[in-house]
Amino acid sequence: MSWQAIDRKSAPADEGPGLSDAVKEKIRAFFPRYETKRAVMLPALHVAQEAIGYISVRAMKDIAELLELPPSAVMDVVTFYTHYWTHPRGEKVLMVCRSLSCQLMGADKLQHAIETKLGIKDHETTPDGKFSFMTEECLAACDHAPCLMVNERMHKRVTPEQLDKLLADADSDKLPMPRSDLYDAPHGEKPARGH
Amino acid sequence: MPKITVDGKQIECRDGVPVLQAVLEAGWDVPHYCYHPGLSVVASCRLCLMEMKMPHPQTKEMDWAPKLFPSCQTPVKDGMEVRFASEGVASSQSHVMEYYLVNHPLDCPVCDKAGECYLQDYSEKFGHASSRMVEDKHKNPKKDIGSKTLLYSDRCVVCSRCVRFGDEVAGAGELRVINRGHRAEIDVFPGVPLENELQGNVVDLCPVGALLSKDFLFQQRVWNLRSTPSVDPTTSAGATIWIDHNDDRIFRVRPRFNEKVNEWWISDETRFGWKYVADSKRLNQPLQRDNGAMKPLRWEAAPELLRRLLDEAASADQGVGVACVLSPMLSCEEAWLLSTFVRSRAPQATLVTGYVPVSGPDKTFPKGFKISAEKAPNRRGVESIIKAMGGPNATFEQFVKSAGDGKFKLAYVTGGYPQVWLTADQARAIGKVQTLITHDLFESALDEYATIRLPGASWAEREGSFMNADGLIQPFERALKPLDGVKSDGQFFHELVGRPGLYRGAKTREAMAEKIPAFGDIFVPRPEPEHAH
Amino acid sequence: MAYEQILMRNCREGGDPSIKQYKAAGGYQALDKALAMKPDELVEFVKGANLRGRGGAGFPAGVKWSFLPPNRTVTYLCVNADESEPPTFCNRVLMEHDPHMLLEGIIIAGYATRTTVAYIYMRGEFTEQFHVLQKAIDEAYADGLLGKNIRGSGYDMECYIHRGAGAYVCGEETGLIESLEGKRGWPRIKPPFPAVEGLFHKPTVVNNVETLACVPHILTRGLDWWNGLGTQNSKGTKMYCVSGPVNRPGCYEAPLGITTRELIYGKDFGGGMRDNMKVKTVAPGGISMGFLRGDMFPKPDGGKVDVTRDCDELDCLLDFDDPRHYGLLGLGTAAAVVVAEDTDIRDVLFNVTRFFSHESCGQCTQCREGTGWMHRVAARIRDGAGRQYDLDLLAEITKNMGMMPGLSICGLPDGAAFPIRTLVQKFRPEFEKRIGEQQADAAKRRILQTNPAAYDLPILQGRAVQPAGGTYMTPEKLKRN
Ligand SMILES: Cc1cc2nc3c(=O)[nH]c(=O)nc-3n(C[C@H](O)[C@H](O)[C@H](O)COP(=O)(O)O)c2cc1C
Ligand code: SF4
Ligand code: SF4
Ligand code: FES
Ligand code: FES
Repeated sequence: MSWQAIDRKSAPADEGPGLSDAVKEKIRAFFPRYETKRAVMLPALHVAQEAIGYISVRAMKDIAELLELPPSAVMDVVTFYTHYWTHPRGEKVLMVCRSLSCQLMGADKLQHAIETKLGIKDHETTPDGKFSFMTEECLAACDHAPCLMVNERMHKRVTPEQLDKLLADADSDKLPMPRSDLYDAPHGEKPARGH
Repeated sequence: MPKITVDGKQIECRDGVPVLQAVLEAGWDVPHYCYHPGLSVVASCRLCLMEMKMPHPQTKEMDWAPKLFPSCQTPVKDGMEVRFASEGVASSQSHVMEYYLVNHPLDCPVCDKAGECYLQDYSEKFGHASSRMVEDKHKNPKKDIGSKTLLYSDRCVVCSRCVRFGDEVAGAGELRVINRGHRAEIDVFPGVPLENELQGNVVDLCPVGALLSKDFLFQQRVWNLRSTPSVDPTTSAGATIWIDHNDDRIFRVRPRFNEKVNEWWISDETRFGWKYVADSKRLNQPLQRDNGAMKPLRWEAAPELLRRLLDEAASADQGVGVACVLSPMLSCEEAWLLSTFVRSRAPQATLVTGYVPVSGPDKTFPKGFKISAEKAPNRRGVESIIKAMGGPNATFEQFVKSAGDGKFKLAYVTGGYPQVWLTADQARAIGKVQTLITHDLFESALDEYATIRLPGASWAEREGSFMNADGLIQPFERALKPLDGVKSDGQFFHELVGRPGLYRGAKTREAMAEKIPAFGDIFVPRPEPEHAH
Repeated sequence: MAYEQILMRNCREGGDPSIKQYKAAGGYQALDKALAMKPDELVEFVKGANLRGRGGAGFPAGVKWSFLPPNRTVTYLCVNADESEPPTFCNRVLMEHDPHMLLEGIIIAGYATRTTVAYIYMRGEFTEQFHVLQKAIDEAYADGLLGKNIRGSGYDMECYIHRGAGAYVCGEETGLIESLEGKRGWPRIKPPFPAVEGLFHKPTVVNNVETLACVPHILTRGLDWWNGLGTQNSKGTKMYCVSGPVNRPGCYEAPLGITTRELIYGKDFGGGMRDNMKVKTVAPGGISMGFLRGDMFPKPDGGKVDVTRDCDELDCLLDFDDPRHYGLLGLGTAAAVVVAEDTDIRDVLFNVTRFFSHESCGQCTQCREGTGWMHRVAARIRDGAGRQYDLDLLAEITKNMGMMPGLSICGLPDGAAFPIRTLVQKFRPEFEKRIGEQQADAAKRRILQTNPAAYDLPILQGRAVQPAGGTYMTPEKLKRN
């Protein structure tokens, strides 16, 4: 119904989760690093997405308030970058590289295998809230093509045959090295997962 | 003043302006979307590209550089040489114009902007009727983004003018670009609609039909409209405007560039402040009290009647018991004619500055745009005239009080406000005047006391000039024929004074300037270059 | 190893990225040397090395530093670690194996430019690398290498990592600055250049990770050593990447100026093609730079370069100049992606156009609409509904999008134009053959299916099926303007 105008005047019925005080505190801790509060935008969105799983309308408003900006400025940034989700994600996000090297080495087949196994397409989440899937341009690991990222963890030279094992592995997103929690959610914050 | 050479012709330009502004002022038509002199430069539409002479890297001789430069981003420099009339520039323009049509719905037949759309104009002059893209177009949605504005984002050319206006001039920042690449579109945050007091300007700013005024939606094809230069009647700031009208009906009001007052913008108050002109409750019949009841009075008979009443009231005491209330809604010329008439028969009559509505404090926006709290266009003009006329004068409050004390035998009260302007108490006090002549747009509490009630004309049906709060005298022209049964105030006062022929604002101003020299100095803003927008 | 591994000395499986290892290998000695010099001497020294930027543009780092206005109180250094050009990964390799080499480069460059705060803008997808580098920064702070009074020199500098969030254009230096300021990564118009007015409107230097990592080595080993490596205008050592169906995909270090053939076939490099396939095409400098013909085409006569003929172009030297002779944009990131003979060239075209249409920031008209349009055309060609005319159309769009400087704000559309243009030009016979193999009216049916209205427009009728339509912009039209 392309002749009908979408209503943007009214707020959505469900604005989603907001940011806790601990998350806000964590965001404020970035302020001394920059000349302006606005520069904390990307770190703030990273921390928020870690904490609640995606960037909800409510979270955008909270961040706008923290950074002293109109909420539209936050929406502008959120929609520009592909990393931020504006709807809930699953516990594990499978990110498949679709750029040239990976494609030449079989990323298509991998993508197809994931889509059929999980029954979801780009930017969708399985009904049980376990997995989400997305494609991304070159992940700068072309020597290990085709690449698949599971949350933070990069899996290299992934073949469709390895997929079952990888999906079953609970630790498929655990990093082998010590982590910095600078951009993470504050301890104890559990992201809201699934739909 | 720097001199530059454009397409082989030398032009003089103002200091520090971009080449684009300079050539537009010199009469060139250079296509541009993102550049606007009132906003920051982003140079993103890439339509205004030009060629420039530069020293050759090896020979150091001046020659055309093998590169195109955005003329909106390049400041003029004395002696520089640029050209737009070249194959390279024309080819770039024609390709960019084609890109604009790649995802454009080409729905001009149902678009309000058709006829004044720069996508149409530039396509016609520099580009094509359609693009060669045969795939499915990426179609952005239509959005309801505020109580007064619609956004058809499929027509947007992403010039970001509206976004920059919101950030820089209105300071509200409701509009934003979302997404990126060819999926980029303009949007508001859900639940934070476009509602700032200057929002209407984004519709004028939008070079295409993406931002539309709900008030004007599907009302009129723009080629049927005629534009009359006018001055904002809603506040004392004196913003200059265009009244767009057809068949004696106003369809919209747009800003008229004014370097001293409103620059390129007007507030929504000004933009939509004309609605009362078309109000069906407006008075349209002169009335005279006859044995307690109001009876119709012919306009032709009114001057004679008024002269007689005035003479009667002033015969004994030079008119000490006469008062004339000059509304700040009157133009300078009208106020001068009326007071001249009253004083000619009642030399000691009291001249009163009419009621001045004030609402809230003055407001100033980030780049200096002002909305003034005083909601009448000509208080200063009326005051200057009263001062120049000399003799007894009073403020409106003093007048009401003296009238209540029974001081006046006759009073001529002009109104002309779009809103209710009198309290019942004030009306009762004024009602003590024995012969009360009212001249107003709408019914008021004075009606029950009036001896004669004359219907007034709105500002759009009159001509003259307003003196704004800073003392600038700015003329405005008549856009509409007065309502049936209404005579324009100026014409009526003209007849009262007994001047021959038709009332003309400019002529009256000349006569007035002989008596009050300050009124010889009017301000008319410089017109915007023909091809600027 | 045929060539000495300098930048990559610690880049191997299981290499220890700690400060202990780095110091044991002689790390942070260059810093002491630098701190003993005056900042301006240091700038002159780096100028002498003609250290050309490794981020793609090849601008000499020392010259860039000397553009900073002399009277400044605040200077920022932005380290460009937004490596997103497919198929480039050398910065990643360096940062995950030897983060202190980068840090030492940052501190020296910071001292030379009197930087107050250095921000490492790291792409959001670098997760492991972020944790490694953050740990290295913590170590450096603990060791007095960052923060107040670095090594007792009286020089203070802070260093933070700023994580990106998935946008190629944030690798462009002004896009990076905007993104750092918390805005969408819309590149800025220049002038003013960042050196004059950059981050937070202060003088700013933007340098690539590898550029900075070279600096300590130039200091310790000296100018003669550095200038002894490489070719005429391209000095020093470079990390080359090679990926695709080669036997040893990876990152290898060599002096500037090896040939593309060596990178693919050298036993210390790519190690040859899998299954002894032949190379159809290779983008030797990242896909933005354009494509070369591979060795499935005959060798040129007497080794002479003739880009108009279908001959093997793998002798292209990988330095800052030679790629231009083959119709490429430049050296770019020196990251080669190799396409084997069995790949359909239409898939390559489709993949490349999708990348640019996905990554264009949407500010400039040519780039925003041109990349999206080319992607749709490429998709149709891939789906077996191409027209011969589409090849001319693609060539025309690329020409008017990025082949001439100044058409848009940043270099992205140039980077989009070159690969597509070189693909269409150099592989035109294959495209024509594929299109010839389609059903005769495939294009027409597809167009009618998706956009019947467009097909009916008189301007398109006839052209839509015309084999090699002339240019749409007729000379008369140009004259009329
Ligand atoms: C579209 C685009 C993307 C770019 N991406 C990167 C990048 O990912 N990493 C990088 O170092 N430089 C990138 N550059 C180059 C930078 O603009 C800039 O030239 C570089 O960071 C300067 O550093 P250098 O002088 O050390 O090379 C990109 C340029 C463009 C036009
Ligand atoms: S809506 Fe209009 S003013 Fe705003 S960006 Fe689009 S074309 Fe420009
Ligand atoms: S050229 Fe493309 S990527 Fe660069 S600023 Fe313009 S639209 Fe953005
Ligand atoms: S192409 Fe997939 S990681 Fe680079
Ligand atoms: S680029 Fe100059 S007007 Fe848009």
